[in-house]
Amino acid sequence: MNRYTRAFAGPLGAIALIVVLMSLAMIVAGTSPIDGFTALFVGALGGRNEIGETLVATTALLFPALGICLAFRAGLFNIGAEGQLLVGALCAGALGAALTVPGPLGIFLMLVAGAIGGGMWGAIAGWMKARFGANEIIATLMLNFVAAAFALELVSGPLRGPLAAGAETAWLEPKYWLPALLPGTRLSIALLFALALAVLLQWVLARTVFGYDLRASGEAPEAARRSGINLGRITWLALTLSGAIAGVGGATIVSGELHRFNTQLSPGYGFTAIAVALVGDLQPLWICLAAFGFGILESGGLAMQASAQVPKDAIHVIEGLIIFVLAARRYVATRVEGTLP
Amino acid sequence: MTELIVTLIALTLVKATPVIYAALGGVISERSGVINIGLEGMMAAGAFFAVVASFATHSPVLGLVAGIGTGAAFGYLLAFAATRFKVDQIVAGTGINLICAGGAAYGLVLLFNQPGASVQVASLGDKYWVLVVAAFVLAAALQWILYRTPWGLRIRASGENPSAVVSAGLDPLRLRTYAVIMSGALAGLGGAFLSIGELNLYSDGMTAGRGFIALAAVIFGRWHPLGATVACVVFGFFEALQYVLQGQIAWLPANAMQALPYIAALVALAGVTGRVRAPAADGVPF
Amino acid sequence: MDASLSLRGIRKTFPGILAVDGVDLDLYPGEIHALVGENGAGKSTLSAIAFGEMRPDEGTVTARGTVGLVHQHFELIGRLRVWQNVLLGREPHRGWRIDEGAARERVLAIAQRNGLEIDPNAFVDSLPIGVQQRVELLRELDRDPTVLLLDEPTAALAPAEIESFFATVVQLAARGTAIMIVTHKLQEVIAYAKRVTVMRHGKVVERVLTAQTSIDAIARAMVGGAVPAVAARAPTELTPCLHVKDLCAGSGATQLRDFFLDVRGGEIVGIAGVEGNGQSTLADALAGLIEYTGIIERSGTMSSIPQDRQREGLVMNWSLVENALLGRQHRKAARRGPELDRMRARADTQAIRERFDVRAANLDVAVRTLSGGNQQKLVVGRALIDTPAFVLAYNPTRGVDVGAAALVQSRLMEARNSGIAVLLISFELDEILTLADHVIVMYRGAVLGSFDRDAFDRAAIGRLMAGSS
Repeated sequence: MNRYTRAFAGPLGAIALIVVLMSLAMIVAGTSPIDGFTALFVGALGGRNEIGETLVATTALLFPALGICLAFRAGLFNIGAEGQLLVGALCAGALGAALTVPGPLGIFLMLVAGAIGGGMWGAIAGWMKARFGANEIIATLMLNFVAAAFALELVSGPLRGPLAAGAETAWLEPKYWLPALLPGTRLSIALLFALALAVLLQWVLARTVFGYDLRASGEAPEAARRSGINLGRITWLALTLSGAIAGVGGATIVSGELHRFNTQLSPGYGFTAIAVALVGDLQPLWICLAAFGFGILESGGLAMQASAQVPKDAIHVIEGLIIFVLAARRYVATRVEGTLP
Repeated sequence: MTELIVTLIALTLVKATPVIYAALGGVISERSGVINIGLEGMMAAGAFFAVVASFATHSPVLGLVAGIGTGAAFGYLLAFAATRFKVDQIVAGTGINLICAGGAAYGLVLLFNQPGASVQVASLGDKYWVLVVAAFVLAAALQWILYRTPWGLRIRASGENPSAVVSAGLDPLRLRTYAVIMSGALAGLGGAFLSIGELNLYSDGMTAGRGFIALAAVIFGRWHPLGATVACVVFGFFEALQYVLQGQIAWLPANAMQALPYIAALVALAGVTGRVRAPAADGVPF
Repeated sequence: MDASLSLRGIRKTFPGILAVDGVDLDLYPGEIHALVGENGAGKSTLSAIAFGEMRPDEGTVTARGTVGLVHQHFELIGRLRVWQNVLLGREPHRGWRIDEGAARERVLAIAQRNGLEIDPNAFVDSLPIGVQQRVELLRELDRDPTVLLLDEPTAALAPAEIESFFATVVQLAARGTAIMIVTHKLQEVIAYAKRVTVMRHGKVVERVLTAQTSIDAIARAMVGGAVPAVAARAPTELTPCLHVKDLCAGSGATQLRDFFLDVRGGEIVGIAGVEGNGQSTLADALAGLIEYTGIIERSGTMSSIPQDRQREGLVMNWSLVENALLGRQHRKAARRGPELDRMRARADTQAIRERFDVRAANLDVAVRTLSGGNQQKLVVGRALIDTPAFVLAYNPTRGVDVGAAALVQSRLMEARNSGIAVLLISFELDEILTLADHVIVMYRGAVLGSFDRDAFDRAAIGRLMAGSS
């Protein structure tokens, strides 16, 4: 039976599963799958605006997915990408609202702020795991809620933009907006940054000593420890970098997409990114492809909802099923909770 | 002042109750050797289907039954995947969480035609106190079962060394399956308490991470039912505190205060250092 | 006489390995039957099948009554008490509640009936290993087996404990139990067994009465020829390398107490001792993995051969090349800037493969596909390739076939001959006596005695290993 699941659970199997399940959802909603899928693809790729939106979603998913991938390869399960993304976005938005430097420098500083914010958020969990053996799954998830609470508090009060209608930071001056990649759409050059990051991550994992140490820690922690690798340091670094990457992603959403920060900026990207990372088989370059696929689902889903009556929440159920099925691949060498790494 | 303290205590117990159910589920599951990360999803599923059943039958009791049953069903799903296919339990649990959260949201639109929250349904009303008391009674019962009965011994053995259980002529996979189904049922009950015990509807995200706080309670309680219950009461206290204080002190940052229970869980996690040992075979596919 | 247990035509395959290939075996009541063969011959697999915890792909197992099995690596639950381990699945109970008093009494009764001492209430992980084995034995005896299988039962026992163990076994046989002992200790086979079955590569190659054979004959049947010789010992000039004094580390039963040691370049120092007397603590302290007080002074580089290659020495899914880097990847020679020098890594791996006879399809296959012997040769080669000043070898031939074991031992001897300091920790006394220039006996974390090669006294060493002098 295991051979069956292994073939089934590969990325191709995941795609097949998506198609089957979505067809079911469409039938339940009273639409034929052909109409449904047509609506989906037209909604995602049918025109310049649509492609732009799909790629915006792709970018927003790609950053946290790369971060999650990095953590996973180190044997760590980061389900806090949503919170890390939020904190990074908040830092970028708050800084951007207060800056007066030239445009490019401002954008750069915002991205750095995003990395620092998200990195800090990841570091908390990383430190807790390295120092206390605290379960990083619970820690990162708790931090999601803490981030949401703090962020809401800050943008309702001290960080609220003076002219803002709701709880959000001030609109960024246009010079601080990431340049558009596809003029007329919301797509910024952040996509290029994300792709470059994927290539960089692939290089780090496959070719560098740090990547070697990281992978060893994830696949065989005891052998890694005995070979002189400092597991605590790797743990802490992996979660911090993971958070930083998600944080940069949040910053690009603020600078390139929304041009301000509010707490609604992510419709669960941090969680969908888990599915993206797994479908991409934890390889940065494949993850780019997976992010594009999920980007189609996210942006086409709205169109599908409008014309084919299939609620976009169906997509989240499908994402969950994909993750569940891919669990058969056994990505993370299970480590016992509560003990020091 | 005394009235305030009484309110605080009462609210603590009420807030702790759903987490206790989930935590007891977590204890049973992990003691048998399966990490149930899907408690959060099972709670959500239990909460949602309790409302659906109550809506359909106008009977909150049937709602409870539905909640327990749904939780058990997802528990079985995890058990099956873990024992038959030896999957990565943590990834599988995460998948279940997303399925349930998304499924409930989907269900809201499908069944009630409104996103975000369901209509109001028949709830337990004043009788919700029964479930509060039952939670503590169940904790004591589970403690006794785990440490004093043959079944409890075999469950613990499955979580420590399933090979030894095989040597004794028993089936650790079957024992684990029962344990995980139970844990799902308990989580479902906790969720049902949230939706038709404390309130009378289901709203998106109402479980708010309680399934994970329950896991923190399991660790903090050293995988003992009573220990986990104490931890749940502590977390419940912080949640209750937040409500009570908000009512009293106007200048408190209401939004930030919502983070209190989660911060408490984080501190708890950090507080139990390497001295803590989980069941030796916890999370390891057999 | 009817056999108590009959195996016919047993065949079992694991992915890529034919473990048992058409084996017939009969065990008779009252007889002690020895099953011998080198590592990887299929003995443990056959025992598991005979016991019933593994199903054969082909063949039948017919048993009269219950079959018991005491595993080589105990299947006990350390965190539970003795009586809980012994009676798991057969717990005496009153209503829903376990009757602990009855349980303890029952354990004491079986123990007494078989001349064994045990505290039913003790936690198993607080017991020394030799006593833990007793717990597993009691568990099987409680089931009143007609057939009892013992897999490497004396591996973790001191010489004195071995005698009393066999006294129990002989008594059991006298009462009619059919007993099979899986072992590689041929002196025990000749001394206690009535019949011997020899396995090689999954097949039975010899069936004989012990009265009609000898240790040499059995050994030759096991290997299928002459046992390969170990490299010769050469005269060396000794240079100071490792100095250990007043070393204390660890806690509990395996803590080190004022341990002292000197290993010089050009010699092999052997640590003799029964498993569980602090050897792992010593190895970890020397490798810098745990905290310690006292003096450890070492000049030059160090490499180690860990005792559990699969868990501690290799990343099973990685290739030979990637594994050959493990522990060596931080050296300046291994890197080019932030990157790993892949060409150099491949060249090194090829060198290890040639010099240490690692049989693999190519350098890029996963190490998981290699046999235990080849995995170990890779680990040993990796430890020696950079010519360290000091090598710590911990059970370097454990679970490895005779050919690979001989090669590993030869390479260690050659390392010694070329001036490297070698510390050999081993649970096989024979291995130490063959290789070491100097033996230190370790008991309960302390040095109990030391012997130079020209004064090796096997009996005295055995006594010290058991703690007496």
